[in-house]
Amino acid sequence: MTIGLTHYLTVAAILFTLGVFGIFLNRKNIILIMMCVELILLAVNINLVAFSAFRGDILGQVYALLILTVAAAEAAIGLAILVVYYRNRGTIAVEDVNMMRG
Amino acid sequence: MMATALPSILTILPELVLATGALFLILTGAFQGTRSINLVNGAAFAILVVAAIATVFQTSETQTAFNGSFVVDDFARFMKVVTLLGAAATLALAIDEMSRQLQKPFELAILVLLSSLGMLLMISANDLIALYLGLELSSLALYVLAAIDRHNAKASEAGLKYFVLGALSSGMLLYGASLIYGFTGTVSFAGIAAAVKGGSGPGLMFGLVFLLAGLAFKISAVPFHMWTPDVYEGAPTPVTAYFAATNKIAAMALTTRVLIQAFGTDAAEWRQILVFISIASMGLGAFAAIGQRNIKRLMAYSSISHVGYALVGLSAGTQDGVNGVLVYMAIYMAMTVGTFGCIVAMRTKDGSVETIDDLSGLARSQPAFAFVLMVLMFSLAGVPPLAGFWAKWYVFSAAVDAGLVPLAVIGFLTSVVGAYYYLRIVRVMYFDDGPARFVPLSGVLRAVLAVCGIVVILFGLLPSPIVMAAGAAAKSLF
Amino acid sequence: MDVSFAFFYLFAAVLLGSGFMVVAARNPVHAVLFLILAFVNAAALFLLLSAEFLAMILVVVYVGAVAVLFLFVVMMLDVDFAELKQGFLQYLPIGALIGVLFLIELIAVASFIVSGGKIAGAPLAINAVAQGERNITNVKAIGDVLYTTYVYYFEAAGLILLVAMLGAIVLTLHRREGVRRQSAAEQNARTKLTAVELRKVPFRQGV
Repeated sequence: MTIGLTHYLTVAAILFTLGVFGIFLNRKNIILIMMCVELILLAVNINLVAFSAFRGDILGQVYALLILTVAAAEAAIGLAILVVYYRNRGTIAVEDVNMMRG
Repeated sequence: MMATALPSILTILPELVLATGALFLILTGAFQGTRSINLVNGAAFAILVVAAIATVFQTSETQTAFNGSFVVDDFARFMKVVTLLGAAATLALAIDEMSRQLQKPFELAILVLLSSLGMLLMISANDLIALYLGLELSSLALYVLAAIDRHNAKASEAGLKYFVLGALSSGMLLYGASLIYGFTGTVSFAGIAAAVKGGSGPGLMFGLVFLLAGLAFKISAVPFHMWTPDVYEGAPTPVTAYFAATNKIAAMALTTRVLIQAFGTDAAEWRQILVFISIASMGLGAFAAIGQRNIKRLMAYSSISHVGYALVGLSAGTQDGVNGVLVYMAIYMAMTVGTFGCIVAMRTKDGSVETIDDLSGLARSQPAFAFVLMVLMFSLAGVPPLAGFWAKWYVFSAAVDAGLVPLAVIGFLTSVVGAYYYLRIVRVMYFDDGPARFVPLSGVLRAVLAVCGIVVILFGLLPSPIVMAAGAAAKSLF
Repeated sequence: MDVSFAFFYLFAAVLLGSGFMVVAARNPVHAVLFLILAFVNAAALFLLLSAEFLAMILVVVYVGAVAVLFLFVVMMLDVDFAELKQGFLQYLPIGALIGVLFLIELIAVASFIVSGGKIAGAPLAINAVAQGERNITNVKAIGDVLYTTYVYYFEAAGLILLVAMLGAIVLTLHRREGVRRQSAAEQNARTKLTAVELRKVPFRQGV
């Protein structure tokens, strides 16, 4: 038995689910939500690299590289906003970040 | 394959103007500090206008650049002009608001330029990677803009919420994009369209659903709308205007291009999803707005319902439908900028106010202001013969032609419900007694309100310029 | 069954385990450390897919910069994380149910893509991206296209990083009043005339 594309896609699917699941469970803790977003992006990257490798097409890896770049920028902005919020409120709990509402 | 990737300058001229302009202004601001604030603001406004003019004078042939990643057609040009005009008008509002505040960050104008550039890239995106990069360029700047009033707890909370949900939505969009790439082996819309023609499977549909979920967040359609009221209320008013008037238009353009050009042959599959999103947005926007007291929150729900109406046209999936979407977004931009101009003008001696009750008695104290706001509210409600009515007429008739009669009927019913809360504002202004006494409007605000009011009133009499341009734009997509 | 088989399961298991711990950890510092572990294992999976460049980038950029940035913020903000953790279990049953359903669908789709035969002509064994036929390294394969065919993406990514820089500065840079800073220009401009004041002090009267 060899490792095929399905194996990698399954790992990515589980990681993606974990990330989404984590966001729903940790609605109050913004830092943890950001980490869960990083997990989701990691899952996407695994998907892309696996497709890229099994299709023999370098474009998937270029896409993954760009996602890494943008995700780093996104993390920087997110943490900057978080620091500003903390300075104003003295806490990082956002009660109303509630995905299920309305 | 290794041929030069650099395009003709004329193809990317508007983007080039914005990018180089933003870079120059960053240097100016960095060296001159806050002294240069007027120069930077004025130059940024000029750059947006120049980019809009450059877009108008581009050739109407469809051109691609950068190995097909970037496309300029009539559709892109129409949406770009609308977006750039919206950006210029809202930047004018922001400059006016900034002149009354102690904090004068010169970065605001530059972030507006860069996020407008991101929107232009979104509108011209012709593959999944360009789509993602344009989306992120505009979104990252918008996250910062929402929180730019950094000593205001509400603004930073708005920025944080927008960021968290935005990051989640781009994660979903990317997961969808990765599935589409994996299934079709290409990221270009033309390649995807060719693969879809060969038969779509659950993998591709799953990818499309995730992609649509990410895009629905950006246009704030139900069920991904939950950030909208909080962010619209918390962000500084001109920034909210910028969100509503430009970002939504660019995201709608992107959604249209993805659905029509990449998945156009598979319209039966996504039509059900779109019909659901459209009905849910119209319904929620109409009913949830009824109890609102804060006018910015009310405009948030209003914007959700307007996205629903525009999606009625897109659900049709026909050329007439896309034409309706284009006309709708252009008119929506004018109405939104005007309404937010009025909200910016709601300033008393003690500062800005934003509840509906603060408007009571406005008709007696400032009749011209009250009249413009009344016209805009009637137009948002869709009262003939104002522009808002014609916008709805185009999308509903396209839906009826495409056989979606129930959708058009539901749209009509929700706009009747929605009319209630727009008319309530008019009632408060004209029939309630109150102390409404705002400081006199500045010249910039007067100009913005006058232009928006004239567009809204005159569109019914003279619709042909916008409708003709939208018709040509819709044609270029098919 | 070859070695890569065993390594795949090792790395995948540690990746998913640490991913779970990121979500479940009580201490946010532990969560960041598990995130780092997840990244390193994902990098190892990339190596198995012969995407060496991305594997290195993931370790150097992600673990080296982004994860450390998270760690920095967690430690800088003095937050009572135990309080934030409350309500975690409240949503667990419904969350788990939705999560499992979601996961089953995703895996079904993943296996359909492969087994459904819809990918015509896609080789199902690893075809080491362009290096097989052209015998070039993974880094060269990416570099060949990144600055030529895909230069547009590269430029756009540069603008995104510019926005990130601008945004982080405008949000967090405080120019506090009343803080004494060194000014080299001012110091150099000092002369004896401006710096020294001579006073004639009368005897027995003080200054």
